[in-house]
Amino acid sequence: MRLYRKEGNSLQILSSPKDDVEKGDYLLVEDTNVNRKLIVQVIDVQFASVPGLLEELLRDSTADEQVHGENFDPLGVSSHINHIQDARMLICKIRGTIVNDKLHVNSSWLPCRSKSGIKKISFNSLLKHVGGNDRLPINVGETKDGSPLNITAHDLDGRLNIITGKKGTGKSHLSKLLVLGLVDYGATVVVFDLNGEYSGLGFSTKGGGNQYSGRVHVLTPGANFRVSLSQMGLSVILKIMIHALGLPGTSTREFKHIWKSLSQQGKFTLQDLGEAIRRCNCNMHVRDALFSRYHSLVNSGFFTDNEESTTNFEKLFEKTKKDGGALVINLKNVSSVDRQIVLEYTLGNLVNLLNQWKIKSVFLFAEEAHLYLRETYWEDIVTRMRHFGLFTNFVTNQPDTIKENIYRQADSIFLFNFTNERDLETVSKAARVDSETVKSIAQELPPHHCLLIGRAVKDFPVTVKVKALDIRTMGQTRLFFADSINAYNKLSA
Amino acid sequence: MELSLNSMKNIESSYLQPTETPLNQPVAEHIENATTILGIQHPSAIKTISLENNSEEKPVVAVDVSSIGIGETETGMLCAIRGAIVWKEKNRYKYQRIGPFPFHITEENKKEICKLFRNHSFEISGDHGAPSIINIQARIGNLLERWLQLGISCSAYDTIILWDGSMTAGMADSPVDEVSRLLEIARNRLSTVLAFSKNTTLRFSGHKLTDLAEKAEPPCLLQIDGFPLGSGPVLLLGDIYVAKLTPGVCSFRLDIDRKVPREQGIEAVQSLLGSDLLVQSYPETLRLAHIFSTFTATEVIGIQRFIVHQYGLKIVTRPNVRRLLFGPFGKGAEG
Repeated sequence: MRLYRKEGNSLQILSSPKDDVEKGDYLLVEDTNVNRKLIVQVIDVQFASVPGLLEELLRDSTADEQVHGENFDPLGVSSHINHIQDARMLICKIRGTIVNDKLHVNSSWLPCRSKSGIKKISFNSLLKHVGGNDRLPINVGETKDGSPLNITAHDLDGRLNIITGKKGTGKSHLSKLLVLGLVDYGATVVVFDLNGEYSGLGFSTKGGGNQYSGRVHVLTPGANFRVSLSQMGLSVILKIMIHALGLPGTSTREFKHIWKSLSQQGKFTLQDLGEAIRRCNCNMHVRDALFSRYHSLVNSGFFTDNEESTTNFEKLFEKTKKDGGALVINLKNVSSVDRQIVLEYTLGNLVNLLNQWKIKSVFLFAEEAHLYLRETYWEDIVTRMRHFGLFTNFVTNQPDTIKENIYRQADSIFLFNFTNERDLETVSKAARVDSETVKSIAQELPPHHCLLIGRAVKDFPVTVKVKALDIRTMGQTRLFFADSINAYNKLSA
Repeated sequence: MELSLNSMKNIESSYLQPTETPLNQPVAEHIENATTILGIQHPSAIKTISLENNSEEKPVVAVDVSSIGIGETETGMLCAIRGAIVWKEKNRYKYQRIGPFPFHITEENKKEICKLFRNHSFEISGDHGAPSIINIQARIGNLLERWLQLGISCSAYDTIILWDGSMTAGMADSPVDEVSRLLEIARNRLSTVLAFSKNTTLRFSGHKLTDLAEKAEPPCLLQIDGFPLGSGPVLLLGDIYVAKLTPGVCSFRLDIDRKVPREQGIEAVQSLLGSDLLVQSYPETLRLAHIFSTFTATEVIGIQRFIVHQYGLKIVTRPNVRRLLFGPFGKGAEG
């Protein structure tokens, strides 16, 4: 391999077809004269622009189609000509410079073109150069060279992460892997499970319980997740009324009065609330508005007056304190309005608990959050709540539903395949990577392979094959022709 | 191959300065027909011969050879040659490429190279004197071409044999006896040799010979009589025509073996019309032979790589004097 050209932080390296270099690989350009090393990553492999190649190909194509013959080449010169034809140009991005075994993020240095040695390095040996933190490792899979790739739980702690990729590429799988990885280290994780995919986290593929079965708590609103009005503070119920049920300003004021009055009387049943609204001495339209919201609350099935059947969030979190645990809020089959009620309640309570230091911190995994989180929550979660100890991981197949400022603040991005350039354009707005790397590598990622970008990989983007998990798969698409597929599979076996 | 290996033996442990080929331009092929300039004084007549497509299909075979400079060493120069034979049989083209063969030419071995080459190809020991190193590349190419032509003449029967170039003989790389012998062998095997020249130095009343056919109705031949048979040692072994075989702007000098009866020669051209594809008056078989023998820039780099690997040469780049002195105002070849 030889250095050919440098433009900005891009480097072009001429490579022979024998060099086993692929997109995503890291190369070390070593200039021994000055004892410096340049770390570059291959983001594209192209044919080298060899003069005369077009003529050669045209001649060969003539020979392919209409003309047949043979070459008498006793000296074997043709193999060298083929070698030139297949010469490659590796388009690389400079990721840093190592001077005296210390990493510097500096691409201004230019190594010697004729004397520099270029060799491929594995990602793990690169990390040794970088000197990463190897405590609390979470194994996410393996790199191209088959070596295991660990990220550390520290790099998810207090961070904002995004897991994105097109449908069916393995986003939820990685998300589950991270959830369990965090639980392993005693963390508390809350999952907004839109499709009921995380319900199987506590079960092995064979159906029995696995090591997480006592630590995964699946909460289904209306079934084993119900709350009473007395559990709610005014701020939480107001958020539900305003943001989930769209209560107008005047009616909100009236509702506050009603709530305070009930609070003074210590009456917090649904029936008391309904009665209070009915007896309220207010404008008829306001009363109608309050009644319609009241019925929404009642019909959601999320609220109950039976204190024994209510879910105590605080106690649930208490359970996760010792060995860690995951609270999976199963939002499958929950209507969009009810979903928002549940989410407003959950987030409101979480913030309260965090505010009061009743829980230390929570890792939140939100699948397709745009479907249930209101616009204003985005920035709130990413900026303010982060300081309270709510660390969010967004999982989405629609990257454009996440605002640009969130990408810019993301600490790590787990990027799966996207074919659509617009999607990649959106993701490439992330501040921790250049758009060329995103576009070039992510477009060719096979399923279950992801490009890790950002803090989790010390800002050295790397492609990883996400490891398999021994958990029951949930959330699979129900197929009409499933029986015939099964029958075919049996026959094939 | 043996010649190539022998010549390359003495270059081990030296350096190679690659030829500065203008890589975006076609690399030079050997110069055909460049050595003889015959002025025509008094042509007796120019006669247009209309041609008809002869339905009798005959095998067509063409030969072409290319040579190219590869670089310089401490003691000489490196070049490579490659030949191509293309033949058309039952509506299919087939080819055989021979080479590339690299040669290392030095002052010490150039005579030996020529002599060896001649001994192998023509089985004579005559010495026409070794040319300068610069010219020997083309000379070696021409000698290989004659060798391939000999092989074709000996093996083909009742075939139209196409040469790239003319039937001008009497120069060091095309001795009269040898070219005559090639033609005679072909004649004896009922084959006819047609030599197409893309460029000719022959002129008629100051005009380039091929320009005479501009207004002629194709397919036709312009028969030009009155050329002297030769000048000094140089002899024209063919009757000279201008061939315009298809509509278009191109016409070519065509030499047909002088010892073949004129009618038979014209008959051979008519057979060519029915036997081969003609584009811009040029036979496809000969065009393919040219394409298959010509070196592309990639191949030149590949051959340089082969030499470096095989003989342990180190590539060095000498400063370009012209560029150093004149910068952007330097033009033309270095020197």
